[in-house]
Amino acid sequence: MLDAAFLVRRQAPGLVLSGFCYAGGLAFGLAVSAALLVQAGVPADALVDEFLIATFLTSDGLAQTVTAALPLVLVGLASAVAMRVRFWNIGVEGQLWLGAVAATWLGIAGGGPDGLRLPSMLLLSAAMGAAWIAVPLVLKLRFGVSEVISTLLLGSVAFLLVQHLLFGAWRDPATGFPVTAAFAQAARFGALGWGQLHAGLYAVLVVAALVWFALEHTRIGFYADAVGLNARAARANGLPVTGTIVGLVLLSGALSGLAGMTIVAGTEHRLNQSVGSGYLFSAIVIAYLARARPLWVVVVAVMLGAVFTAGSVLKVFYGISEGMIVLVQGTVLISILMAQFFSTYSLSRPG
Amino acid sequence: MMRPAGAPGGREATSPGVPLALDLSGVGKSFDGRPALSDASFALAWGEVHAIVGENGAGKSTLMNVAAGVYAADEGVQTIDGEPISPRSPMEATAAGLGMVHQHFRLVDSFTVAENVLLSLGRRGAVRTVAQASAAIAAKAKEIGLPVDPARIVADLSTAERQRAEIVRVLLLGARILVLDEPTAVLTEEEAKALLSFVRRLAGQGHAVVLITHKFREVAGFCDRVTIMRHGRTVLAGAAVAELDEGEVARLMVGETLTTGGRPASTPGDVRLSVSDLTLSAGPHAQGLASIGFDLRAGEVLGIAGVGGNGQEELVSCLISLSRPQQGTMLLAGRDVSAASPRERRRAGLRVIPSDRFDSGLIREFAIAGNLALSTVSEGAFGGPLFLDRARMRKAAATAIDAFDIRGATPARQTGLLSGGNAQKVLLARELDTGMTVLVAHSPSRGLDMKATQFVRSAIRRAVEGGAACLLISEDLQEVLSLSHRVAVMNRGAIAGCRGIDEVTPEWIGALLAGHA
Ligand SMILES: Nc1ncnc2c1ncn2[C@@H]1O[C@H](COP(=O)(O)OP(=O)(O)OP(=O)(O)O)[C@@H](O)[C@H]1O
Ligand SMILES: [Mg+2]
Repeated sequence: MLDAAFLVRRQAPGLVLSGFCYAGGLAFGLAVSAALLVQAGVPADALVDEFLIATFLTSDGLAQTVTAALPLVLVGLASAVAMRVRFWNIGVEGQLWLGAVAATWLGIAGGGPDGLRLPSMLLLSAAMGAAWIAVPLVLKLRFGVSEVISTLLLGSVAFLLVQHLLFGAWRDPATGFPVTAAFAQAARFGALGWGQLHAGLYAVLVVAALVWFALEHTRIGFYADAVGLNARAARANGLPVTGTIVGLVLLSGALSGLAGMTIVAGTEHRLNQSVGSGYLFSAIVIAYLARARPLWVVVVAVMLGAVFTAGSVLKVFYGISEGMIVLVQGTVLISILMAQFFSTYSLSRPG
Repeated sequence: MMRPAGAPGGREATSPGVPLALDLSGVGKSFDGRPALSDASFALAWGEVHAIVGENGAGKSTLMNVAAGVYAADEGVQTIDGEPISPRSPMEATAAGLGMVHQHFRLVDSFTVAENVLLSLGRRGAVRTVAQASAAIAAKAKEIGLPVDPARIVADLSTAERQRAEIVRVLLLGARILVLDEPTAVLTEEEAKALLSFVRRLAGQGHAVVLITHKFREVAGFCDRVTIMRHGRTVLAGAAVAELDEGEVARLMVGETLTTGGRPASTPGDVRLSVSDLTLSAGPHAQGLASIGFDLRAGEVLGIAGVGGNGQEELVSCLISLSRPQQGTMLLAGRDVSAASPRERRRAGLRVIPSDRFDSGLIREFAIAGNLALSTVSEGAFGGPLFLDRARMRKAAATAIDAFDIRGATPARQTGLLSGGNAQKVLLARELDTGMTVLVAHSPSRGLDMKATQFVRSAIRRAVEGGAACLLISEDLQEVLSLSHRVAVMNRGAIAGCRGIDEVTPEWIGALLAGHA
């Protein structure tokens, strides 16, 4: 008797239940996507091959998935840490571009001892990402400017800066294309000998572990939640409200900057006009699905990496259009998001 | 979910033959396996004002939420005007004739009153435009004698005006049974009187009114019958108010007789808090403060009486440094803290019980353990800067829950789910810690039942007898008079006068409250 049922918000959804809900959402999304793809002309048996076997069960596919997940983990964390203090960082891409620019500057300039090249690229890209978000942060804290608007617009400014460089000073002298020259060997993350996977993996793992520890096991996470949920009460109780916001928002920018660095130093080895596109939406989706919990960010980022990998395989081998790929990815994500509803509410029926 | 009753009105009605306005019986409801109601019942006749009283967490709000379709009961039967019903939503209950005005209002702040009414009327009935809604509101307001301006934006309304808008909205939706959940807790004395006389008029016109309250005076003065709840059960069903006395009600509510302790038996010592010339300019929704000054001594309670909205909120906000006054100095134990942050003032021993617990006191969504630790985590109480010992935090919370007898609490439970009195105990448990030297308590027993009120007052008494100083700001004159050594009266952002308790007379207070002295 469904018409006599109530929606009741669950107090604390259990782990098993949430797991089932998400798995169900994923399965549903995949099924719908499969139907769409078959409709678009992909043979049904090839779907299993490409979607499941190629992305998860072959060594190449897995390597590509993990490689794709590296920047996704970083932008997901970037979005998540800002979300914890209710700062809506819609400028993840802008900070990522700035990080990529900083890394490229060191990457193509040469000079300095080779051993210090990658570490200095890491530091500078993080610093530039943080600097780029510092502008909206100051505007918000001093003048109450909405960060939704300012971070978003600064993202476009960052992209224009990249274009300015690529069509100007940094244009590849060899080809004349609007891409930079390739990085020196010392400015690239070394290959790990497994697909395209590179040593940036270690950097991402260390960073993710640090963020996880900071948010889950130090005061920082406690402050962040208090500030995010009720800043007035946090302030009245003597918590460092402004300090917490500043710290986590700068961290958010720094993580985005690092993501830019891992892309140019890890896979592209040069700066071009497309390294940063699409990461904003991925970042928000990952952080939202993971409910801003660092450990879950890593899990969701890997899943999303797999979806991207499968998409590019389908595109290359079956001539599926880009629009179709985006549709499929959107279908999967929205099903998972809807699954969250079922883990949050229960149906209560006559006893 | 409630099963419709097989036969309407199984129990005796007040006048035979006429169906009851509302009849609930055998209602059970659990939240996460904890029973909030078990076998609760309630019978309401047309034309009466029926009080529901009971201690915090007794299940009063829950029972009425079930009747109003907000929650689904696990078991029980319900009839409205003799018709079996199991409302699945507030809309359905209102359509059947029962409307509830909640403790926290449910209007859209950025809409006008008329737009709000239109929003809840939806596409039913004849009212389809804002103009029609305005006309309907004006007509209804006139009919029942309740002033409501349909064109005003809700955000600009005072609490009392919002409440009136809610009432008119619910009545316009077709409610003939009006349920008011602690309506007077947020009103000044004058406003409360006006509301209660309105409620009487409404009953006189044949409506039925349920009044959830903690104030015996309201029961005695304005209600026909009273139902008392305790631990999720109805312990006294619909007794005529005329035949009851306060002591008996209190005993039935809490199961024991209460002692009314007097003011703290301590003599004032050194000055602990000294405020002078505190001046704050008025904001769009805020009263300004005009050169407020007072000294508060150890072992002393300074009561500040006054009608709400005369600068009490702003004073507290300045004292805890959430607002910056334009002028004035503040000394804590002789040290100038005029420019100090909330944190520094806390370190200097200042503790606060704000009037709205979930505004600057507690975080609704936090676990109880988190709220109990809110001010001490940053002082290193649960591990150094690098590590936060959540296990230790939970253990400390369990101890505090025991010590303060916080009902319905576990360290991991969300604070917002506690009943009002128990949430207040969480606040007390945190604020009355060992470092406290000055306590600012603003309406500390607002919305609390008699027992919880006694608890709060004796906690303040003990703290003051132990050498603390207390600034007691309250709109409840009785509370101020029974606890304070000195009484000041606040009016329009200024202290209108201050006297020792022995020299306080009702005439003096009355004159200052009214603003001429
Ligand atoms: N939505 C909810 N989820 C979980 N528990 C709840 C919920 N609402 C109420 N409770 C619990 O049910 C019990 C009864 O609460 P209720 O709000 O009905 O008390 P009350 O009599 O209205 O008290 P008060 O006088 O403080 O308003 C309390 O223990 C409360 O913690
Ligand atoms: Mg209640």
